[in-house]
Amino acid sequence: MTENLYKNTEMMNKLDEFLLDIQKPARYIGGEVGSVIKDKSKVDVRFAFCFPDTYEIGMSHLGMKILYGLKNAVPNYWCERVFMPLPDMEEQMRRRGIPLYALESLDPIREFDFIGFTIQYELCYTTILEMLDLAGLPVLAEERTELTPLVVAGGPCVCNAEPLCDFIDLFIIGEGEEVNLELMRLMEQCKKESAPKREFLERAAQIEGIYIPSLYDVEYNADGTVKSITARKPAPQTVTKRIVHDIDKMYAPDNFVVPFCDIVHNRAVVEVLRGCIRGCRFCQAGYIYRPFREKGKTAILDQTRCLCENTGYDEVSLSSLSTSDYKDIEGLLKTLTDYTSKNGINLSLPSLRVDRFSEEVFKEITDVRKSGLTFAPEAGSQRLRNVINKNVTEKNVLDSVKIAFEGGYSAIKLYFMLGLPTETEEDIEGIYDLAKAVVEQFYANPNRKKGKAPSVSVSLSTFIPKPFTPFEFEPQASEEEIRSKQKHIMEYANDKKITISRSKYDVSLLEAVLARADRRVGKAVYLAWKKGCKLDGWEEYFDMNKWREAFGECGLDMSFYANRRREYDETAPWSHINMLVSREFLINENKKAHEGETTPNCREQCSNCGIIKNVGGDICRAIR
Amino acid sequence: MSEVISAVPSVNTRVFFSKTDRAKYISHLDLNRAMQGAIKRAKLPVWYTEGYNPHMYVQFMLPLSLGQEGVREVLDFRLLEDVPFEEVTERLNNALPLDIRAVETAAPVLKNTDITTAEYEITADIDKEDFLKFTESEKIIVEKKTKKGTSEINLKPLISELSVCERITLRLPAGNDFNINPMLLLDAYRAALGKELSRVRIVRTKILCADGSEFR
Ligand code: SF4
Repeated sequence: MTENLYKNTEMMNKLDEFLLDIQKPARYIGGEVGSVIKDKSKVDVRFAFCFPDTYEIGMSHLGMKILYGLKNAVPNYWCERVFMPLPDMEEQMRRRGIPLYALESLDPIREFDFIGFTIQYELCYTTILEMLDLAGLPVLAEERTELTPLVVAGGPCVCNAEPLCDFIDLFIIGEGEEVNLELMRLMEQCKKESAPKREFLERAAQIEGIYIPSLYDVEYNADGTVKSITARKPAPQTVTKRIVHDIDKMYAPDNFVVPFCDIVHNRAVVEVLRGCIRGCRFCQAGYIYRPFREKGKTAILDQTRCLCENTGYDEVSLSSLSTSDYKDIEGLLKTLTDYTSKNGINLSLPSLRVDRFSEEVFKEITDVRKSGLTFAPEAGSQRLRNVINKNVTEKNVLDSVKIAFEGGYSAIKLYFMLGLPTETEEDIEGIYDLAKAVVEQFYANPNRKKGKAPSVSVSLSTFIPKPFTPFEFEPQASEEEIRSKQKHIMEYANDKKITISRSKYDVSLLEAVLARADRRVGKAVYLAWKKGCKLDGWEEYFDMNKWREAFGECGLDMSFYANRRREYDETAPWSHINMLVSREFLINENKKAHEGETTPNCREQCSNCGIIKNVGGDICRAIR
Repeated sequence: MSEVISAVPSVNTRVFFSKTDRAKYISHLDLNRAMQGAIKRAKLPVWYTEGYNPHMYVQFMLPLSLGQEGVREVLDFRLLEDVPFEEVTERLNNALPLDIRAVETAAPVLKNTDITTAEYEITADIDKEDFLKFTESEKIIVEKKTKKGTSEINLKPLISELSVCERITLRLPAGNDFNINPMLLLDAYRAALGKELSRVRIVRTKILCADGSEFR
């Protein structure tokens, strides 16, 4: 029965004509174990879940797996997967008039009710336009007049959705577990009533967490800053992000689509906690995913067991912003390893913090064995680490590195940012000094293998100020500043065992511009896409010249968005969005940063970030 | 070589399976992974290699080229406990992707060295009469890649049981030592014709032994 439903002879015949000439065709035909096939005649709402990047990247993303499972758990809703084809595939599709299709049914996504994008990074914006166009749809929301397909988007980047307002009909702010189903129910109803698009949007605007950009008017000051953002009825003046209150009862996937070909992370993944207690001032995830909520050990074990059995994976990784902040991490690992070791499953913990890097925990990490060890002190001096509230000391790093060297490692990777607020030459030299201290730590180990040298690599990225962080007011360092900082460290360098890699400024500049852009930047996104920009996150496709031309043609200045200090009383382009962390708190944190004052982590002391005031006393579990 | 093999206990289970439609785009390496995943999900008690890094021991008979389909492919492994063969088939089918199906499970009778030939069914947008004429030419010389570079071979004497009705069916040498991919013949025809062939579909329908019987 299902087998017949699943055959799409028409599309298959078209694909058979050329798919063998395409690199890795397996990523374009679906059919994987765990993919969900339904009888179209019994489905009321169809959702095309688009990840605006390649199959290998999108298929590794946990959020997509959660929402895919959740929607498909409803019998009359069908959610399918869509990824961005690479140029060889896209070219053939365009030449042969094959529109973008979903991997389960192979049906064109323009026939669906929803086309939903998850937006994980700013550099995928043009890819979204390319996918809409490849689907055969107008990229501009106002040119899509029918109710379906309705183009929606969620994910961390939509906390400032402004540069995408021209293209997307509706944004989902915050956690999608509940609100996605509410939207699908509304669609089911509106389709029955043959309601027009306008009516759907007005009704959706009343759901908490839904942002309908076409219902807001933005006015600007003469200096280019935002003057006001006004909601039109019935939209709320402020859209408040959605959160799931009971994380233990929240839907968690019991199965994954298991790809045929290799992807970035081909393994089972179990979410252990949401939010972060740390409050590193540069980190957007640390603020927009608050409040902090931990899943119970039993729930985590059950989900691990269920996933491993259903997928057949022999590797499971625990996912969160900072897994070692799980209150009873040792207990959790014990519970899990009891199960995994009996069943020949490897457990990996990708996001460990240096300061909780005990020998005990170290033994449990298999991930690290393969890829080498990475640490992210982010800044070179204690002073600057205090500014960014990265509460890691040099001693923490060296202690952990010591354990690693004693455990037989010789390669260590250190991540730092350049261009952080208040950064001086001493801070930059501190980066190199820390790397040298790591090298010395290697030689301090009496049991080291004779004749073996350590290799320490230092990776320097450029700091990017993001909305909803205490640094949203900060300018990004200019290209000249970053260049001179990079030059300084290269001149200071004198040890061959340390290699330094630098990121490209252009990419970080564009990311900084798009992150804090206002609505007018949508025009530049459109023009850049028209000029051929897509897959901007891929070095081989990124073309900054096209972006510069696009900004030039619409009379917008990139440095206005990236390199300008924003006053505390300036109206941010995202000021109508409430991410539950209060603006007063962010301002106060910014002031403290400039005074080099740290803020304790949420487990030590609640700093009244606004969550408790906004949501109520018992939601944040960091303090319990 | 022989020492290595003797360290492996003999296989006792042979699964005949099909790999069609979407699954034709899965490479042999990916098929291997997909099968092992299915065996794990099916919780079949199969033998793992010993040593520091144990892995599931499964053996495929003749790898299929990317893009070709097979309706009776062969996979061997060793079951450590008795599981009725019908149950093996059923459990695998519950764990396999839709376009890879276990057809039958049995005890292995023959060795892989007994394989000499395979039968293929070919459909394509071609003039069948013309194709037939082409196969009747005196020689069909093609370049075949070998371990030591390429060599020229004459396909003509290697084709057997050719019939051209609704579909083209033919047999070609098969086996680990000497295997002829039917694409070689189609490529030669395309070259002779001087134009691309479209809608090519190649299905391996039978794996055969010297006496013409099906591999068991
Ligand atoms: S409410 Fe308090 S404990 Fe919870 S995230 Fe905010 S500052 Fe941290």
